[in-house]
Amino acid sequence: MKSFEKVLLVMTDETDQSVINTAVAICRKEKSRLYVLFIIDSRRINRLGRKGRQKIDDIYRQAEETGWQLLYLTEDEAVENGVWTSLHFEEGNVTNSVNRYVESYGIDVIMVRRKDDMRRVFTDAPVSVIGL
Amino acid sequence: MLIKISDFLKADAIFMDIKATEKLDVIKELAEKMVAINMVTDRTAFMNALAKRENLESTGIGDGIAIPHARTNAVQNLVLAFARSPEGVDFSAIDGKPSHLIFLIASPEDKKSEYIMALAKLSRLLRKEPIRELLKSAASPNEILNIIKKHEE
Repeated sequence: MKSFEKVLLVMTDETDQSVINTAVAICRKEKSRLYVLFIIDSRRINRLGRKGRQKIDDIYRQAEETGWQLLYLTEDEAVENGVWTSLHFEEGNVTNSVNRYVESYGIDVIMVRRKDDMRRVFTDAPVSVIGL
Repeated sequence: MLIKISDFLKADAIFMDIKATEKLDVIKELAEKMVAINMVTDRTAFMNALAKRENLESTGIGDGIAIPHARTNAVQNLVLAFARSPEGVDFSAIDGKPSHLIFLIASPEDKKSEYIMALAKLSRLLRKEPIRELLKSAASPNEILNIIKKHEE
């Protein structure tokens, strides 16, 4: 059976509470350690900025604020459920960041919201990916 | 809801050079100081809530920063305290470095949104290296407050 000892939950600003709840519930059941990684996808933000509705700085600021809130929401939920967590905040390319974390922390399984723009995580990740 | 760190952090809860060098001793020292200025009503419950968090996660977020935190009814409002450690404290930070700037945040159980926003705001602010450097070299609690007021959005 696949080991769930170390789980990496990958979040972007499109992640919602249901993903957090599910990830924490699985980690609680499996007694896993939950590494939570919020990534500001620079390419996506630059794309949004070029469309010109909002300044890039404002989009970054908003994404950063959302990111930290999601991280602490996850941690709060995890602590309530007795799940060990480690929070991480990154800026850059999603696939590269995920692969680096998998290697650095010896991650067994990645969890990610299925609707996020995460196709590359599913296809390029060096470990199994669960879509939530 | 707009949260401003400077609305919650007061000069009498800023401790420029703490003596403790172990994580739980630092939290204990801060807790005692916070009890002394009536920010905390139940010292034991406060310590237990913070220790529970520390057992389940690392509150050292890297770059020399630690933000021990908890939701607990040992406080009546969102409270913040700041301590600076010249020697650095091992908060099991994600980058393995000792923490020199320590912000403690606590809120009552039912103030979750305010608490999450304060944590997010502070974490975001402290990602900026120039602000960390200013906080490290500040000479007084009022200077710490002014740096935060000036740089938070």
